[in-house]
Amino acid sequence: MAALDLRAELDSLLLQLLGDLEELEGKRAVLNARVEEGWLSLAKARYAMGTKSVGPLQYASHMEPQVCLQASEAQEGLQKFKVVRSGVHAPEDVGPREGALRRRKGPTKTPVPQSSDAPRDPLNWFGILVPHSLRQAQASFRDGLQLAADIASLQNRIDWGRSQLQGLQEKLKQLEPGAA
Amino acid sequence: MKIHLQTTDYGNFLANQTNPLTVSKIDTEMRKRLCGEFEYFRNHSLEPLSTFLTYMTCSYMIDNVILLMNGALQKKSVKEILGKCHPLGRFTEMEAVNIAETPSDLFNAILIETPLAPFFQDCMSENALDELNIELLRNKLYKSYLEAFYKFCKNHGDVTADVMCPILEFEADRRAFIITLNSFGTELSKEDRETLYPTFGKLYPEGLRLLAQAEDFDQMKNVADHYGVYKPLFEAVGGSGGKTLEDVFYEHEVQMNVLAFNRQFHYGVFYAYVKLKEQEMRNIVWIAECISQRHRTKINSYIPIL
Repeated sequence: MAALDLRAELDSLLLQLLGDLEELEGKRAVLNARVEEGWLSLAKARYAMGTKSVGPLQYASHMEPQVCLQASEAQEGLQKFKVVRSGVHAPEDVGPREGALRRRKGPTKTPVPQSSDAPRDPLNWFGILVPHSLRQAQASFRDGLQLAADIASLQNRIDWGRSQLQGLQEKLKQLEPGAA
Repeated sequence: MKIHLQTTDYGNFLANQTNPLTVSKIDTEMRKRLCGEFEYFRNHSLEPLSTFLTYMTCSYMIDNVILLMNGALQKKSVKEILGKCHPLGRFTEMEAVNIAETPSDLFNAILIETPLAPFFQDCMSENALDELNIELLRNKLYKSYLEAFYKFCKNHGDVTADVMCPILEFEADRRAFIITLNSFGTELSKEDRETLYPTFGKLYPEGLRLLAQAEDFDQMKNVADHYGVYKPLFEAVGGSGGKTLEDVFYEHEVQMNVLAFNRQFHYGVFYAYVKLKEQEMRNIVWIAECISQRHRTKINSYIPIL
């Protein structure tokens, strides 16, 4: 009896895992597309503004992100990641993943307690009158950021699912010889 | 791509570059070459051609000054930026630009000896140099420069005026359109915007007044529809190739520059040569970017120069 229940649980877990994997694939494809779009728009902006006007000269070597990553613990010790604008002061600790999220023309954050003025839009590093392609690039990269956080959460869930699966399979093995 | 370039006039200009070859390196090397050719012209020229050539370098000087000031704002080292400045716009006081705090400082201390001095008249203010003001400064300087250049060509008269004046008028109108387009949704007010438009060209004065009131692309298109030259340009925007307004303007500029070579004995050929070389550089850089980003299909959306 217990074996049957276990099997049912195993099946549902497997189905959920496969669903998650499919979602992950889809999201990865969209992320790749967004990042590619972003880089192409940057190239177009360089075409319109001149190659040296859109490049490492325009940003300070020390940036402050505009967007933070919020890591929260859901049930069963599962970590979820959410992208949060720095204006909203998140009570939970900000994950150490920010370093990995840095991009050349990515969002910047101002540490909320320190500066009194609003966080500076990185678009303004390139001047006030920026061509449309630069704004498009920013929009693409922003979408990509949201997706990246979702992908990280999904991947965590998948890893957790796999470990659950393995645990259940072991239990089943133990039960089977007993039942047989 | 390096191999293809070797077969053209560019020869082995990339020969000394070590791997990896980035787009930025290609761009820098091409600029150096153009600068070398330009210096050759300059060294062989007399008045008034040398004044004409000096006018041409002023636009690059303005860009360099703004680049240096932006760098100062971002607390970058002067050496780093000096390496990236446009070689055609070099002037001796460049290293000192980053010390200036306000435009009047900039003028009195540094630029008074350069050819940029007369363009500072409208820009003198005590506002500190932050991003909005740097942008305003850039556009105002460019406006005064264009107006001075136009007057020079007109006074020169003769075939040069015939050829250069329409080109410069188009440049003025183009700047008016692009400034308007890029200022939608930014903090630039309409009055400020109007002060940035050059006061000559087909759009002056009625068109400019209408443009200053425009609030989106369609309104701008309506203004352009009044002018026979600009109506077809605006209609070509979008379309199948996803052309932007800047692309369409570049195309038109290329056409005008190519026509400049049909007349003889005027200075416009030098201007046209430099501008067409610039377009060529832009095309090469675009192709290089497409290759490095693996977008082979987009390679052909450059502007051919016939």
